[in-house]
Amino acid sequence: MEVMFHSSSFLLPSIPADEASSTKYAIVVLNQKLPRFTPLLWEHAKLRLCADGGANRIYDELPLFFPHEDALLIRNRYKPDVIKGDMDSIRPDVLHFYLSLGTKVIDESHDQDTTDLDKCILYIRDSALKQESCRLQILATGALGGRFDHEAGNLNVLYRYPDTRIILLSDDCLIQLLPKTHRHEIQIQPSLQGPHCGLIPIGTPSAKTTTTGLQWDLTDTEMRFGGLVSTSNMVKGEKITVESDSDLLWTISIKKQDSTTP
Amino acid sequence: MEVMSHSSSFLLPADEASAKRYALIVLNQNLPRFTPLLWEHAKLRLCADGGANRIYDELPLFFPREDALLIRNRYKPDVIKGDMDSIRPDVLHFYLSLGTKVIDESHDQDTTDLDKCILFIRDSPLNQESSKLQILATGALGGRFDHEAGNLNVLYRYPDTKITLLSDDCLIQLLPKIHRHEIHIQPSLLGPHCGLIPIGAPSAKTTTTGLQWDLTDTEMRFGGLVSTSNLVKGEKITVESDSDLLWTISIKKQDPNKTLRSG
Repeated sequence: MEVMFHSSSFLLPSIPADEASSTKYAIVVLNQKLPRFTPLLWEHAKLRLCADGGANRIYDELPLFFPHEDALLIRNRYKPDVIKGDMDSIRPDVLHFYLSLGTKVIDESHDQDTTDLDKCILYIRDSALKQESCRLQILATGALGGRFDHEAGNLNVLYRYPDTRIILLSDDCLIQLLPKTHRHEIQIQPSLQGPHCGLIPIGTPSAKTTTTGLQWDLTDTEMRFGGLVSTSNMVKGEKITVESDSDLLWTISIKKQDSTTP
Repeated sequence: MEVMSHSSSFLLPADEASAKRYALIVLNQNLPRFTPLLWEHAKLRLCADGGANRIYDELPLFFPREDALLIRNRYKPDVIKGDMDSIRPDVLHFYLSLGTKVIDESHDQDTTDLDKCILFIRDSPLNQESSKLQILATGALGGRFDHEAGNLNVLYRYPDTKITLLSDDCLIQLLPKIHRHEIHIQPSLLGPHCGLIPIGAPSAKTTTTGLQWDLTDTEMRFGGLVSTSNLVKGEKITVESDSDLLWTISIKKQDPNKTLRSG
């Protein structure tokens, strides 16, 4: 079984050289409060999208991360490449501001069958970024919190694009899909992440999951809703391995410190 | 198949008819703006560890024209239970001096704070077989996702207990597969956004009435179709499924505390 490697270098001020040449990031900003490390993610990303009302968040909240700088300067600096979605949340003043800066606006209000996150993922996958011979990782903020049906729909996006690396990020944690088709090696930054973590069999039960590197490791352990789900676990070192018969969500807490200095 | 009925009368003004059938658990996230209303409905009020900080800090903010100390005295939890690693010492001492029962479970690291509170309610003499308490829990969503998943799992692990998770934005309830479900909503307070989520296991067949996009023996699974961004069409929704589902509906952004006129 092939190994899939996971790293969280996007949380570092600068990405190690070997990774920087092999991995390209795209960021999707959804309509919830921006995590405090959003400027850092923005700097790392080659392609920056706002899903509909995510543009309001960039407009309103990014300047708040730079209280000593002029808000207009910040808004000009952090300009999304694309705003895509059904346009029912973005404010008219925000829309006009980014249009005047040259942001590409794609109105998908005719398509009510897919979520805003879906629309953005499809755009990124079809973009020139994907064509390049390197790994693409999509970082999405604002996918958690708010209405639970929205959150569940966003978690489902991870399951529906298992071949695409998508990481959901909030101030408190990150979430990634660990497809059952691979063994997984997860490298963490202990100064920035953990120790709290979990493995969640959201879609189907797991008859056998085995891990290393956790406080409470699993050994061919069954996990299911209604029974054992690995939550409030803790990472012990810098490397975690997971092997399972079921697609799992891996989640790890993000430490409360100011990591916005790029 | 027996019908299980669901209503959200805990979002309506409290009166004699609501008969204090509820127990409230406050977990450690921002209090929903209708927390005072839930508090009035509840016969038994618990804080899970740091939930006590929330009651202490945030309840007075809902009554800006009243004295904070008065509010804190009025909204006194019956019990504070949990592993006590989040509650502030000043908050703990305040409620201890008011007579709140504090149960330190820090020795028990195998169950979550929400678990501990549910077990307390189930064993309480106020919870009779003939009139079981329905549990309302705030602060179970948001924050760390592993916490949230553990709290969702609590709904699956106590399928015989009616537990409703509440946030400012929505509520979540388990619809066990062994029943047909009738969900009655107050359109002035709830909806229209809703969803049915097959967390834990796929559903081969789910059938609904009362939704904008009803399901008819429809398959739902993570990786495929999950009913999200659905809309309720009227005041009654029915659901029948071969799998345990989570029902979720949005809560309208208005101040239901306006209806609170009790002194």
